[in-house]
Amino acid sequence: MSRISVIPERCSGCRICELVCTEQHFHVNNPKKAAIRVVALYPNPVIRAPIVCRQCDDPECAKACPADAIKVNDGLVTIDPELCTNCLACVDACPYSAIFTHTDIPTPIKCDLCSGSPRCVAACPKAALELADQVKDQPQVAGKGIEYAPFRELRVQGEGAAERVIRYADGGGSR
Amino acid sequence: MKPRGGYFKKILNVDLSRGTAKRADVSDEFALKYVGGRGWGARITWDNLRPGMDPLSPGNLITIAPGPLNGLLVPASGKTSFCCISPATGLYADSNMGGSFGTEMRMAGLDALSIRGRAAKLSYLWIDDDRVEVRQAEQLKGTNATETERTLKDELGGEDVRVATIGPAGENGVVFATVNSDWGRNAGRAGMGAVLGSKNLKAIAIRGTHDLPVYDMESLMEVSKRAFDYLMHHTSMRIWQRQGLMTVVEYANTVGFLPTRNFADAHFDGAGKINGDVMESTYKIGDSACFACPMCCGNICLVKSGRWKGTACEGPEYETAAMFGPNLGVDDFSFILKANELCDALGIDTISTGNLIAMVIEAREKGLLTKEDLGDLQIGWGNQEGIVRLMEMIARREGIGAHMSRGSKGMFAKWPALQRIAVQVKGLEQSAYDSRASMCMALAYGTCDIGAHHNRAWPISKELQMGKDWGLQEKVDLVSYHQAVRPVFDMLGVCRLPWIELSIDENLYAEMYSAVVGIRFTLGDLLEKSKAIYDLTRAISVKLGVRRADDYPPPRTFKDPIVSGPFAGKAADPKEYEAILEMYYQRRGWDPKTGIPKRETLISDGLPDVADDLQRTLGAKS
Repeated sequence: MSRISVIPERCSGCRICELVCTEQHFHVNNPKKAAIRVVALYPNPVIRAPIVCRQCDDPECAKACPADAIKVNDGLVTIDPELCTNCLACVDACPYSAIFTHTDIPTPIKCDLCSGSPRCVAACPKAALELADQVKDQPQVAGKGIEYAPFRELRVQGEGAAERVIRYADGGGSR
Repeated sequence: MKPRGGYFKKILNVDLSRGTAKRADVSDEFALKYVGGRGWGARITWDNLRPGMDPLSPGNLITIAPGPLNGLLVPASGKTSFCCISPATGLYADSNMGGSFGTEMRMAGLDALSIRGRAAKLSYLWIDDDRVEVRQAEQLKGTNATETERTLKDELGGEDVRVATIGPAGENGVVFATVNSDWGRNAGRAGMGAVLGSKNLKAIAIRGTHDLPVYDMESLMEVSKRAFDYLMHHTSMRIWQRQGLMTVVEYANTVGFLPTRNFADAHFDGAGKINGDVMESTYKIGDSACFACPMCCGNICLVKSGRWKGTACEGPEYETAAMFGPNLGVDDFSFILKANELCDALGIDTISTGNLIAMVIEAREKGLLTKEDLGDLQIGWGNQEGIVRLMEMIARREGIGAHMSRGSKGMFAKWPALQRIAVQVKGLEQSAYDSRASMCMALAYGTCDIGAHHNRAWPISKELQMGKDWGLQEKVDLVSYHQAVRPVFDMLGVCRLPWIELSIDENLYAEMYSAVVGIRFTLGDLLEKSKAIYDLTRAISVKLGVRRADDYPPPRTFKDPIVSGPFAGKAADPKEYEAILEMYYQRRGWDPKTGIPKRETLISDGLPDVADDLQRTLGAKS
């Protein structure tokens, strides 16, 4: 059993993970069909974070699926294309925004770990993706920003009384 | 020949005066002959050329073209060319932007976007796959480029949308205004932002979902793997990821070409305070890469304390560090970050801005500008507050800043004596390599088709390290080769840094292009096409008045010897330059007296119509 663990401090936002994912699964060059997406939100926080399925033990997407098309097999959360009606309830239900859609693809797109050796993990030039048994402190889409537990804050007195808060991660740009 | 991939064969033609947007077909012949990117842009610029036209009038057509490798799973495929007549030089120019903007355009099913006219009110263009809308943007008037991007992304669909935008400087017609995207990536040179501003176009937002056309995915992936493997195993890869182009500061200072105080010197005592190690240890908080690039030369930096606390930006890279550091007499890295952040926000080019401010400081010292000319502005070498204030004045066209906003040529019109100390060619301010010890680099600046920029040839490193005993012919050969091979990257829509910095085999790019279009092309074939395009951009500028007399580096190159460092006492020899220029024209097939491409040169380029046109319009004059 394994999962993809994201280390956002290392991510450069190059999106090679998105490209190898679509090449692997659809044999096309189209990052909009990837099961992993780099979110880069700025000016603050100044960080890029790949978002990908965490293969939850008790997944919300499966609970939300009215067609019972999502199962956990050997630790892998899988959508059965025969049963899936593409209603997208799973996309809304995923607390991590890690299920994606594309009009050309008849089912929602989510990570299948490439049969155990994910292409994105191997291809990441910054080693920002790792295979792990458990994941913790993962970046998370929250509204129009990213939440990430290790964030630090720099408070800056702006003009007048306004205070700006810049959030960043220690060790950013490291590898 | 018919390409079987690589192109949608569609250009979106937008006329902002009429409010129309039409997809036009591109012929197979056009696609292959001009390849893409700068190649397509140059030909479209030629076809729409109207000598005498004001570059900031609605008639100036701007073409944005990513190129057939852009967006593909090949190293550093995020490059896009902006091409038009430059308001800074009045000549042909293109400027290359990284990031993901061009890829999004391709995914919307477009190979290129051409924009003419002027919208009645400030507007932005929204391309949502096949749907195109011109939307009003009055609420964004005067907004910083970086904020505009955030606002439009929030409004239109977050990270699935890419936005290229101008800042207040572009709206105000500053002739070195940039187009900014992905927070810190710019079409930085020659005033592309001013051209969009003159069209009342604040931004272009795109969302695309299409697969990119590739004829032979299997072959492409095979070449791609070799290319990525080579780069990932390169011994310098890690330092590139850590410091990117910031490694060049120390190198330039050691070798002796670091521009210092308006290029008066080429060596800076404070370089150790503004180099890559300082950046990495004190300021860096993240990496940033263009699309599909493993090298991630972009460094995200934050100033955590001191006068410029709270400054955050992507950068600086070498040019910015040199132009706002040594060239302005500043040895404080946090200030360089402040200047970088401000340039991105205002939408002005870091090179031209740093260069022009240095000229003003020197001019004030020498009395070429008076106290009255500067008003209440206090400025001098290393005066950080004064420099920041002047940057704002340029973007808002206030006081001396209003004159500076018109670039070198604008300054000369008001103060002709500045020509002696200005460091520019053809009206474009020189980038951050001193050429007094490098005849190759002097020739590169003199003959670059957009002015004094290093994009077409950067031979200085090779010449200073290996070419000490070279004859002039070897130097001409190196410059000519650079001027052919470097634009190939701009035509394909990929970055040249994997080649120039990590020495990847340039033949790989011919293999990639062949796999994508389904026709076998060698590097030699691509170099021939590139050479033809260089002759074509020359033909454009010749029609706009450029001759041999315009192909000289700045006066300082010959007249003011370097003060300190390894090349102290060195200035370029004017006689040697005359000789090398002559040999350069011979090699290019341009007339040595006039610098005009010979008829037979254009014929052998496969540009007989251009040859006929030049003969017809210049006949007696040439």
